[in-house]
Amino acid sequence: MDVWYQCENPYPFVPQDILDRVDSVRASLPNKYCDPKIAADLFEEVLDEFMLCDDQGLNVVAIEHHAGINSLFGANPLILGILARQMRNVRILSMGTLVSLRKDPVRVAEEYATADVICRGRLEIGFVKSGGTEMASNNANPVNNVERYWEAIDLIRKALTHQDGPFSWEGKHFTHRHVNIWPRPWQQPHPRLWAATGDPDTVNVLVLRGADGTKRAWGAYRQARAEARLPEVGTDHFAYAAFVYVGDTHEEGVRVGSKLLWFLNTSLKSAPQYSKFLPGTVPPQSAPLLYRSAPRPTTAAGGPRPVASASQNAATLIGLTADQARERGILFAGNPDTVYRQIHDFYTEVGGFGHLVMIGRSGFLTHAEAEKGIRLFSAEVMPRLKELG
Amino acid sequence: MGMTPVVSSSPSERLSAGGIELEVVRRGTGHPVLLLHGMQNVDPRARFLDLLGRRAEIIAPSHPGFGHSPRPADFETVSDLVHLYLDVLDGLPYPKVTLMGFSFGGWLAAEIAVKCRHRLDRLVLVDAFGLKLSDRETPDILDVFNTSPQEVRRRSWHDPAKAPDLDAMSDDELIVRARNWDALCLYGWHPYMYDPQLKRWLRRITIPTLVLWGAWDGIVKPSYGRGYSALIPGSRFEVIEAAGHHPEIEQPEAFAERVAAFLDR
Repeated sequence: MDVWYQCENPYPFVPQDILDRVDSVRASLPNKYCDPKIAADLFEEVLDEFMLCDDQGLNVVAIEHHAGINSLFGANPLILGILARQMRNVRILSMGTLVSLRKDPVRVAEEYATADVICRGRLEIGFVKSGGTEMASNNANPVNNVERYWEAIDLIRKALTHQDGPFSWEGKHFTHRHVNIWPRPWQQPHPRLWAATGDPDTVNVLVLRGADGTKRAWGAYRQARAEARLPEVGTDHFAYAAFVYVGDTHEEGVRVGSKLLWFLNTSLKSAPQYSKFLPGTVPPQSAPLLYRSAPRPTTAAGGPRPVASASQNAATLIGLTADQARERGILFAGNPDTVYRQIHDFYTEVGGFGHLVMIGRSGFLTHAEAEKGIRLFSAEVMPRLKELG
Repeated sequence: MGMTPVVSSSPSERLSAGGIELEVVRRGTGHPVLLLHGMQNVDPRARFLDLLGRRAEIIAPSHPGFGHSPRPADFETVSDLVHLYLDVLDGLPYPKVTLMGFSFGGWLAAEIAVKCRHRLDRLVLVDAFGLKLSDRETPDILDVFNTSPQEVRRRSWHDPAKAPDLDAMSDDELIVRARNWDALCLYGWHPYMYDPQLKRWLRRITIPTLVLWGAWDGIVKPSYGRGYSALIPGSRFEVIEAAGHHPEIEQPEAFAERVAAFLDR
């Protein structure tokens, strides 16, 4: 199993009474609450944590989110550029530039190819669909977001692989008549591509599924491959992301690791216009369940199974306790032995996976605590996980 | 959005144009009026239909994607809607009709009147979208998608108690509302609810035009309506008191009276 470290570089230092008062901690929270001096310290700490991962042999994930306390990584290519130059050993997964929000996928391909060359082929490219608050922050039409997502991926893939001079792209959402990026990527034909699965949520949904949802998502992927007559895949095609913290003692690991749940408890708060009333995110047939202040008990009885919206998922997660998160495989926390056992049991339950993405710092978890967790995890847990397959 | 099946639990009349079957509300007899709805399709129970129907034959289709009208694949621009309604005009059994548009439909009506004045005898714009009038840092039209629902409601109605109650709606009504919301967003997201070129061409509207506005409209303010009217040669601008963005719903009597008087002029 490969392991990846993820920190979204959150900004938790907004007074709680302000967070309680506003209707959303993303998109509309005024940036006067973001002190650039604190932000600079946070960037320094988190980039240092990534460098520590490089020393410890732990791959890293760099994400992108916009205009909220959950993440200061608003421009993934900038972070990627730093990591590509500074890190010397491990692989770097961009997860990712929000491609359906960018006007020109060719520029995205150019950025990715450049990063891949700078790091001499250690780049991996992930695609995520973005969430409601990001539509507002980026002026992006939410209704045809998924169409743009797939067209952007197609264009990026062609731009990364086409080597014979300019080609033309006149698609539905993107037109670019003269595509010919320099440099081309180091890896041939292109860096490995990843996608987050599930509904278009503001969070990396793989994190939040728990064992049942994870099995369902991966089962659906395997079935779709079978229907498309593509070869069967092993566990290497699947990654699972969770909050992970390792302490010296089980008690310490759980106590510090529980701080990671700030991401769910505090940073998901989103106003209805960015969530349940955001156009185009769920089929109109779900409106009876979403729009009423309380769903009618008879609604949808016998009808098609309603789709849980991003806002409903978020509502469930905001209230999650540390015990519930550990039971559901969302949080793996304890000492090296108990964390290994939790991951092992979850791994067995879902049928295995080739990659574990560990979210090791969030909320008020400190730099020192994050570094301690990284060291203990990579020294004590990671070697045992490698043997899982 | 090909995955979105069309809901068809309430039987309604259809109107065929350019290969598209539109749901249509028809009411009254007399002067033919093609009515283009705003953010919501026309509710057949709306009182203004009966009041105005005493003087006019109202033909109110639901735009593709709104109400129970299907939206063909890749039909997703205001230009598509404008050309569809040019087809509708060609298919109506009258040499000329009055074109009336509410809100988002007012934008469509203005675009159509610029292109097709020979098929129209009059134009009525009610709290219409479609133009950029203020400076680049002053939005003319409230961003209904990025504003809290409470604020949108407060700015839409003179008496917010008249706002629709989602809890009281049937499943079908809520599904239609969600379809309307998705379709409105698809057509109007960018540039937000206006055509930057339209202002230049409004001078082509030489038919008698009434620009009618709710005095309390906080979605598009009466000053915007006044500016709109000033760009249409010879048009009249009138406000309806005690009404917000939907004067036809909040003050159906005053609304029907003003429109009927204009039709008689």
